[in-house]
Amino acid sequence: QQTLHDLLKKAPLAYAAEIQELNQQHESLFSKWMLQLHLGFNIVLYGLGSKRDLLEKFRTSMLQDSVHLVVNGYFPSITVRSILNSITEEVLDHIGTFRSPLDQLEFIIRRFKEDSSLELYVLIHNLDSQMLRGERSQQILAQLSSLPSIYLIASVDHINAPLMWDQAKLSLYNWLWYETTTFSPYVEETSYENSLLVQQSGSLASSSLTHVLHSLTLNARGIFRLLAQYQLENKDNPSYPGLPFHDFYQQCREAFLVNSDLTLRAQLTEFRDHKLIRTKRGADGVEYLLIPVDDSTLADFLEKEDEDV
Amino acid sequence: GCFVFKPSPKKRRVSWKTANYFGERNDDSDDTELRFATCQSLWNQIKSETEQIQEDLNKQLFDNLVSFLRQSHSKLQEKTTEWTCQTKTREIPTAALVLGVNVTDHDLTFRSLSEVLQNNITPYIALLEAKDCPGIKNLMQKLMGQLMNCSIDVDSLEDEDYVQVSQSRIRCSMTSLINWYESVTKKKDSETPSKKRTTSSRHLQSPPVVVIFKDMESFTTKVLQDFIVISSQHIRELPLVLIFGIATSPMIIHSLLPHSVSSLLCIELFQSLSCKEHLSTIIDKLLLTAQLPFKLGEKVLQVLINIFLYHDFSVQNFIKGFQLCIVEHFCSQPLSVLCCQLVDVKKRVNSLSHDQCENIRRLPSFRRYVERQVSEKQITLLTEDNFLKEIIQKLLEDLHVYHENYVSVLRCLHVFTSSLPKYPLGKQIRELHCACLENRVWETEEYESSLQLARRLLNKSDLVTMLQQCVEIFVSSSGKEFDKTVEKLKEFLTQFQTLEEAFQERDVSVSSQKELQKKTDLYHLQKTLLELKESRRSKKLTKFEMLRFEVVAYIDSLVRNYLVPADHKTLHEIVYFNTASVLREHLNAAPRIALHTALNNPYCYLKNEALKSDGGSISNKAPDICIAYKLHLECGRLINLVDWLEAFSTVVMSAEGPNADVASSDQVDDIIHARFIRAVSELELLGFIKPSKQKTDHVARLTWGGC
Repeated sequence: QQTLHDLLKKAPLAYAAEIQELNQQHESLFSKWMLQLHLGFNIVLYGLGSKRDLLEKFRTSMLQDSVHLVVNGYFPSITVRSILNSITEEVLDHIGTFRSPLDQLEFIIRRFKEDSSLELYVLIHNLDSQMLRGERSQQILAQLSSLPSIYLIASVDHINAPLMWDQAKLSLYNWLWYETTTFSPYVEETSYENSLLVQQSGSLASSSLTHVLHSLTLNARGIFRLLAQYQLENKDNPSYPGLPFHDFYQQCREAFLVNSDLTLRAQLTEFRDHKLIRTKRGADGVEYLLIPVDDSTLADFLEKEDEDV
Repeated sequence: GCFVFKPSPKKRRVSWKTANYFGERNDDSDDTELRFATCQSLWNQIKSETEQIQEDLNKQLFDNLVSFLRQSHSKLQEKTTEWTCQTKTREIPTAALVLGVNVTDHDLTFRSLSEVLQNNITPYIALLEAKDCPGIKNLMQKLMGQLMNCSIDVDSLEDEDYVQVSQSRIRCSMTSLINWYESVTKKKDSETPSKKRTTSSRHLQSPPVVVIFKDMESFTTKVLQDFIVISSQHIRELPLVLIFGIATSPMIIHSLLPHSVSSLLCIELFQSLSCKEHLSTIIDKLLLTAQLPFKLGEKVLQVLINIFLYHDFSVQNFIKGFQLCIVEHFCSQPLSVLCCQLVDVKKRVNSLSHDQCENIRRLPSFRRYVERQVSEKQITLLTEDNFLKEIIQKLLEDLHVYHENYVSVLRCLHVFTSSLPKYPLGKQIRELHCACLENRVWETEEYESSLQLARRLLNKSDLVTMLQQCVEIFVSSSGKEFDKTVEKLKEFLTQFQTLEEAFQERDVSVSSQKELQKKTDLYHLQKTLLELKESRRSKKLTKFEMLRFEVVAYIDSLVRNYLVPADHKTLHEIVYFNTASVLREHLNAAPRIALHTALNNPYCYLKNEALKSDGGSISNKAPDICIAYKLHLECGRLINLVDWLEAFSTVVMSAEGPNADVASSDQVDDIIHARFIRAVSELELLGFIKPSKQKTDHVARLTWGGC
């Protein structure tokens, strides 16, 4: 990945002047966008090329004086929960947790309705990214954007992005479409994309976790859940070595997930091939199983699974 | 991934006014404040008017619903007293509202519905949406929460115990709901008599609890079934009434609910107004009046109507498009400051700056006007601002008068044409309006054919009655159209009246003849009637009179009033908004087309001569992603990555061929490889390809076409 970056830096960007000109055209629209945002529309940008720099410029030039929230949708472990959290915690200065995103949303809506002086600009890069394109997250975002004092600017890239929205959501979003073809390369956006050609190292992202697990059988998913839950229960224990294989086998048997030692081992091998788990042999010769993902991602993942079930 | 930026407290401005964003581009051209204020007031006026229209249209439906609720509820109470029909009491009265597919408009309907119910029947209304209720537990919670809030709102008592009720939302069950209901009703019974009177006068005794399911289709069946079964068990303690909002057809109830459950419901159907009628009233009230100074051009109107008819059937979106038109018009056109009521025109015209006057002189319609004037007048018009201002005032007044005449004559013509067979000029008044705006109506074939029809085929007595009817409409509308400057209308009326009288006379004679022959038999009667008909047909004079009258009416009204606005009226740019392309690309965008043109033909965006190429072939100087895209178009469903890379590097090498030196070919290869990787991952991000598991090192195409 790093070498790729270095190499690309050497290659000159073609047609810099023309791209510059295009950008200038788009920048002349900024004040119009502000006007339309204030009149209750939300703005969505489409077109070829990364719209990140454009939005960034919009932010620095127009939004300096107001509270705004930037959401990097291309970030692979982003969830609606984290967007809502940042609104409640940092914008509204509310401390406390909510039982479900719906409750949280209700709270936000109530607060914004009570206090008309609150205004919030939300910029979402890549509204159509892997994590935000789900039906439920779009529903929540749409409801947020329908608030009159929340102004939303988003960009979409995927060719099938408009398929995410049905009539009801479209009316909540109240989009105005703007074509902003920039031709600038998707540097940030593709840096998370797991390309075939570059085997990405580093920790697993939540998105790839869900994708791999979605292609597994029900029992295999159950096995992984057991392991993940156990690991989360012990996350405060710094000397936690992982789950011993034998105990794990017992637990899986009790939950009717496997019927023999061999099937569990086969399943674990598959996990290991996808780098979902790591095995470690302890001092006493027992095999310990670990999920090499940080706890917050794992918790997010489990929560999402619960929602899906 | 989320970052909140807060402004530093020092710099914090209180609030930016929206008007500041309005005219930043053309800073000093005119008073943006005023323009923005006009825009806002216009929009507010339109908004309130549309809401009013919606309310009026729904009134009928809501009245029916209210009476249904009353009836079913009183029945229910009777039943609870009669122990004999105990088995029957398990039925829940249900109203199924068939609302049509325009989901976007339903919100407003439901809001006004709950208001109406609140005022007339019951304070206890819960609105449930499918997205809030994935399970029966959430549904019950939501229901309880809403009902209790409702009662707090309405009663506004000092609520010591309500607080504890609302906080204990965790244990929400049917029994607690019933307990709550009993306590509330009991409280109402034991209240002071004065209070009781006020409540009972408005509401019924022990009011029913109304539960509205907003979108029946998107509820999960299990939740609905469970809820219905549970509540039917408790119908005696808790008088429930359900209202389903149905978007498709009432069949959905039976396909969603099994027989055992739907037999627990006592369903009555209600049909809401069709969205087309709604639209035509909106158009009628918004566009075809002289009151609103802002008008839509023909193309814009066409686009809006097309979006409505071919895409979504949503009146809400139509109004949104209208709003966008207003904003665009006031934002882009500096002369739109003059787009206001006739009363304000004078003041505003007088306060125009010199630049604005220049703007007016630059208008194409004004240029045409100048060219038609005498040469001395031309010079004064082009040089002296004051004289220009006077002329502008007069022209704007003319425009207003033109609109008034236009609307009433348009309605008149509509009455004529809409009764013709096959509707050559369109059935709806909006079609007629479009036709008149688009071109000179009297030159079109449709108009010609409708004239033919009116002249020849419809020349019978029913045409006369239709004319009379049309006159009636016209009289009522002319009464409202206050300052008719032309007396022509009255002229029409007298003409119509003479016709009427002539006809009535004949009627009298007919009836007298009838009386004479009262005693004859049926056969004779028939015969005489036939004779009468014959004689009527032979009366050439009256027929001719009618025909001539018609021709006069047509030619007179049309030639004078139906001129195409863009063609004949000066200063129409101030009032008409006519850039349809803006509207189309902002409301009804096509991201795929934009991507396609950008990838296929980058010259459209990057104005570089090197990119110009005849369609189809790959220009080797195009950006990387375009080359990769074109190459991928030439493949089938599965693409081999290695071959793709080969092809890519060949193309790129040939582009660099002339100036690449042989020595560093290794490094060049690496760079090309890296660029290829970038291009491929970008294509993956855009959704053109996806990694395939079927073969190693292959990707699958997700789009069609090409080659």
